[in-house]
Amino acid sequence: MKPVAESFDIAVVGGGSAGLAAAVTAARSGARVLLVERYGYLGGMGTASLVHTFCGLYLLRAEPGAVLANPGFPAEIAERMILATGIGPQRVGRVDILPQHPVEFVKIADDLVSAESTLELRLHCELTGVSQTGSGWEIRMTGRGGARSCHAGKLIDASGDAVVADLLDMDFAMTESPRLQRPAYLFGVQGVTGFDDEARLQTVGLIVEAVRNGELVKDAYGLSFRESGRVGEIFGSLDLHGGDDYDPFDDFSLSGLEMKGRSVAAGVVKCLSRKSALWKNAYISHWPIRAGVRESRRWIGEATLTGNDLLKGNRFGDEVALATWPMEFRENTRGPKLRFPEENRPAGIPLGCLKPRGVDGLFVAGRCISTDHDAQASIRVMGTCFATGEAAGKAAALES
Amino acid sequence: MEPAEIIDFLDDEGILELDVHFPDDGDLFAAGLDSMAVMQLVVAVEEKYGAILEPADLTKENLSTPQKLMELIELKLK
Repeated sequence: MKPVAESFDIAVVGGGSAGLAAAVTAARSGARVLLVERYGYLGGMGTASLVHTFCGLYLLRAEPGAVLANPGFPAEIAERMILATGIGPQRVGRVDILPQHPVEFVKIADDLVSAESTLELRLHCELTGVSQTGSGWEIRMTGRGGARSCHAGKLIDASGDAVVADLLDMDFAMTESPRLQRPAYLFGVQGVTGFDDEARLQTVGLIVEAVRNGELVKDAYGLSFRESGRVGEIFGSLDLHGGDDYDPFDDFSLSGLEMKGRSVAAGVVKCLSRKSALWKNAYISHWPIRAGVRESRRWIGEATLTGNDLLKGNRFGDEVALATWPMEFRENTRGPKLRFPEENRPAGIPLGCLKPRGVDGLFVAGRCISTDHDAQASIRVMGTCFATGEAAGKAAALES
Repeated sequence: MEPAEIIDFLDDEGILELDVHFPDDGDLFAAGLDSMAVMQLVVAVEEKYGAILEPADLTKENLSTPQKLMELIELKLK
């Protein structure tokens, strides 16, 4: 087993959209960077959970045409993804989104990481402990090969779940059920061609009819489908309630959630294939590695972005990124509730939201930066996570 | 039935947040009506009006505006 180098300038925990951005950005500045990821590829929600849309990349505008909100890493990812899929941004209702393909995202992440000689990637590696030392951090991790440890000057928590706060036994914020954002279960389907808007509406009708007839459970109401951009392939997205005691940190709760997602998805696809010519040859081709968690622990930082900041489009002197996605609440499974800012204004995300209060040498990026529940409903999307990741990578490198 | 009632209904049921001044012939899809909202819509129309919208009724044309949606519901109630 190749030993992990003993010392790094920066360690990044979690290789999702924020961690990828943070690690690559820091390495580009010349820092020696360790990136720790628990699964076999990078991308997090956008790969392991099959979330196939980049939200938050573009400004809100009444006028047609998508305009990137944050230059730098988010723009670079968008460009690479458009090149890979051949699909550009799309206006959906009032927002511009970029359809992305999880398989392409995995490859793009590999390419970005491979290009950085000072970036050491450790997949299949889970963080088990951190402690502050005189010169930075001792990082303890484990894989199937056993436990190991190393030293890093700065630490970036891009875990999505603020795991470093938990490991340090520090205070964190967390919204309780029932307001906690509900999870999503996404899956791939093959054998459906010509899934256009009319087909999407017909499918809704078939699902409601099947629930009415007792052929499907009501959970099927949380389901929507979208074409993947590849011939014959669509993705299903199922918003799940997870029960009144849904807890994204309880493995029992999560186990039920994963099983439920598969059971509902399989039931719907089987039912539709019996009822509709369009769905006749459909089969589920792809399960996610894990259900997509939208919200869990949040860090308490030197600054805390609020829902009011988002509504007003407040800007800050030390802002490092712009939040443009409307606050998207999925506190139940009856579809998203979007709250838009006044006059479509973007809000600034201050650097203070990326700096946990009372700890030196530590930065946070992604959905667990310091915000309230309402603001988290905007900043949690991948387009914004690329931006806060990049900002955390830069800030950590600057201090190194 | 008036289209204004449909606009209120969509708003009250939490299907689509619409301004009270939303036009009778305004584009509901551009206002954010997505497939999950249509799912809720079909359920709510059945609960509130007793009208059963079948798969063949769910076309872009039929759901495109408050006016069209009202006409669809009235047709199904006949």
